[in-house]
Amino acid sequence: MHKKMAFSFPDEVLEHVFSFIQSDKDRNAVSMVCKSWYEIERWCRRKVFVGNCYAVSPRMVIRRFPEFRSIELKGKPHFADFNLVPDGWGGYVFPWIAEMAGAYPWLEEIRLKRMVVTDESLELIAKSFKNFKVLVLSSCEGFSTDGLAAIAASCKNLKELDLRDCEVDDLSAHWLSHFPETYTSLVSLNISCLGSDEASFSALERLVRRCTNLKTLRLNRAVPLDKIANILRHAPQLVEFGTGTYTADVRPDVYSDLAGVFSSCKELKSLSGFWDVIPDYLPAIYPVCSKLTSLNLSYATIQSPDLIKLVSHCPNLQRLLVLDYIEDSGLEVLASSCKDLQELRVFPSDPFGAEPNVSLTEQGLVAVSLGCPKLQSVLYFCRRMSNEALVTIARSRPNFTRFRLCIIEPKTADYLTLEPLDVGFGAIVQYCKDLRRLSLSGLLTDRVFEYIGTYAKKLEMLSVAFAGDSDLGLHHVLSGCESLRKLEIRDCPFGDKALLANAAKLETMRSLWMSSCAVSFAACKLLGQKMPRLNVEVIDERGPPDSRPENCPVDKLYIYRSIAGPRFDMPPFVWTMDEDSGLRLS
Amino acid sequence: MELQLGLALPTPNMLKGFDLNNHGLDQLKEMGGLEAWNKAAGCFADKDCVKSKRSFEQAFGNFTEECRTKPLLLWSGQPNEEEDHKDQKKATFSTTDENDAEEDDQVVGWPPIKTWRKKIFQQQQQPRVGRAENNRVAENENGRSIYVKVKMEGVAITRKIDIKVYHSYQSLTNSLITMFTKDKECNEDDYILTYQDKEGDWLIAGDIPWQNFVRSVQRMEIVRNWG
Repeated sequence: MHKKMAFSFPDEVLEHVFSFIQSDKDRNAVSMVCKSWYEIERWCRRKVFVGNCYAVSPRMVIRRFPEFRSIELKGKPHFADFNLVPDGWGGYVFPWIAEMAGAYPWLEEIRLKRMVVTDESLELIAKSFKNFKVLVLSSCEGFSTDGLAAIAASCKNLKELDLRDCEVDDLSAHWLSHFPETYTSLVSLNISCLGSDEASFSALERLVRRCTNLKTLRLNRAVPLDKIANILRHAPQLVEFGTGTYTADVRPDVYSDLAGVFSSCKELKSLSGFWDVIPDYLPAIYPVCSKLTSLNLSYATIQSPDLIKLVSHCPNLQRLLVLDYIEDSGLEVLASSCKDLQELRVFPSDPFGAEPNVSLTEQGLVAVSLGCPKLQSVLYFCRRMSNEALVTIARSRPNFTRFRLCIIEPKTADYLTLEPLDVGFGAIVQYCKDLRRLSLSGLLTDRVFEYIGTYAKKLEMLSVAFAGDSDLGLHHVLSGCESLRKLEIRDCPFGDKALLANAAKLETMRSLWMSSCAVSFAACKLLGQKMPRLNVEVIDERGPPDSRPENCPVDKLYIYRSIAGPRFDMPPFVWTMDEDSGLRLS
Repeated sequence: MELQLGLALPTPNMLKGFDLNNHGLDQLKEMGGLEAWNKAAGCFADKDCVKSKRSFEQAFGNFTEECRTKPLLLWSGQPNEEEDHKDQKKATFSTTDENDAEEDDQVVGWPPIKTWRKKIFQQQQQPRVGRAENNRVAENENGRSIYVKVKMEGVAITRKIDIKVYHSYQSLTNSLITMFTKDKECNEDDYILTYQDKEGDWLIAGDIPWQNFVRSVQRMEIVRNWG
């Protein structure tokens, strides 16, 4: 008599076991074991992640997961960050809010990235979800401070309001006063992207004073330096703090106030902000530097000597964002002082200048790679690179998981040998076996894609610009990169052949973006016709693609898998290729 | 059973069978037509695919069949014919050229810096002589300096400032105070900042949002506050 042990557990036990499984990937795997696990899992999934809001419809999500409390949605493709996706393309959150408002009065958390959020949506959130706790809007747009006022006024249990890199219509800073005087549950507030001039300081101060659980506070640029001391005095428990503008006439009383108040912040681990920095005020933060693990100086236009002084005070730094004013010399100091460094981002201070304005080269990146044993994530803008440097970097730092290099001038060759940088990036993918994200730049031929297809087996996201010679390049990537989920390409000579030959691959990925490449309208139509589970969107602001010959390349192409079918909220410059398009348009 | 969330289907293991070093493109060259391609795909699927997918089949029925989507075009492994390549290149770059002409040699979205960061960065740039000419202009209206005349009541000489350098009324007035108190001793409360908008009307600065102000200001005047 064989009792099937697996089925002898009652559902509640399985549910309890599943509650320890948080990651989406694992949850998805669990749900595929058998029908009964699928059923149990779907009833107890509390957090839903939808990587592409058009891959599935709100109703489908609600039907499958009847009891989720938290949802994360992503809208526009990544290249929207760089103005490559025209305004009005889509990514509207309202339909999701509307569906959830009816089905889920107990929804607690909404996290959105690159979506269009209107005041109407915010007002609906405020009205519909009585226990709403977390709102994180990352790179979103379409709303104003009026919407924020609605959230502030109605969400009595709000813990987190995080607006990162959003475009907000700043009508009035008085929205902050809409938090009732009885409201005290705020734990995290990030308003760094707001611009309004007359920030309602008194409302802000009162809010900070009464929310004693506040751990994260990121102010916006309008908050002047002399106000920061007042605010921090009421929140010595802060763990993460973003200053407003860090400039003022140098006055000893302002300085000593500031230094005093920073000394009393014993829990501070992360600092950001520092707009318009005056170096004289920097030493005020020295008391907290030894505990800092994260420092964002990417808006601080201070020179290398001041940056070096600051960085040398922070031996426990794990994450640093900085402008290229730090220069190679500063990065060398970083490499010797900050042995715990895991993530480094160096942004260009003068990206459009014809000549380099600072002495930041590949040497800085080499120094950090050699000196920081835990470094795994890098975003680096520079103006020259060599294969030699890249090979050194790859060999010394095989633990990279994210490597994004942007050589500012497109198609820049190895400055020592004048060769393409294929070998250098080849070394990166060969040595860094856990590489999940890669951005390429510089002069690159099809060769680099052969290396990538051969070695980058864990690569999930690849960004390519001004690279390659032929369809072979694209074919290498699509046929070789087993873990590829997101591929974004611009200005490369990739056309129909590789795309059509690897059509099946596209269903295993989240999305593919190709702009200013050589994919013809005919190929798009064919792809749309033959692959019903892909949405093939042609984005072309020049006019309907069928007003030009079929073999003309389309301007922009966005392909993503979807079980929701073609969407209906497209603007006039987007066309979805579906089964009928071949018949209708030819 | 309908496909639902979470099913990241691995491509049938025909990808695994694709050893770039050995088969890959040579094999493709040998294949005659679409049928041969399907046959190869079928082979891989039969050997590797079906066994590992048995459990999926049981749970979800027949979609393994659908999985084995046939590629739509024979891949010959040859790089594009030279002529095609050149033509395509022309087509690609002609669009870029159009953009270039309009925006002073600027490639859209390059270097890849978030729009928001670019705005902050431009607001922070100090005006330097001749810098406006050297700088390549960024997208839309965010790059160009906007010089505006500023006159102060009682001061003979008019000044000119780049309004793009400032991000708020506060920073503008701070700078103006610094600029003009050199010429004339005064108490800042005695003065009001006014400006002339595109329609020719004189208004008090500060009523409209900063960005709107930047777009409409033609000239400014600091006048005595008699009120």
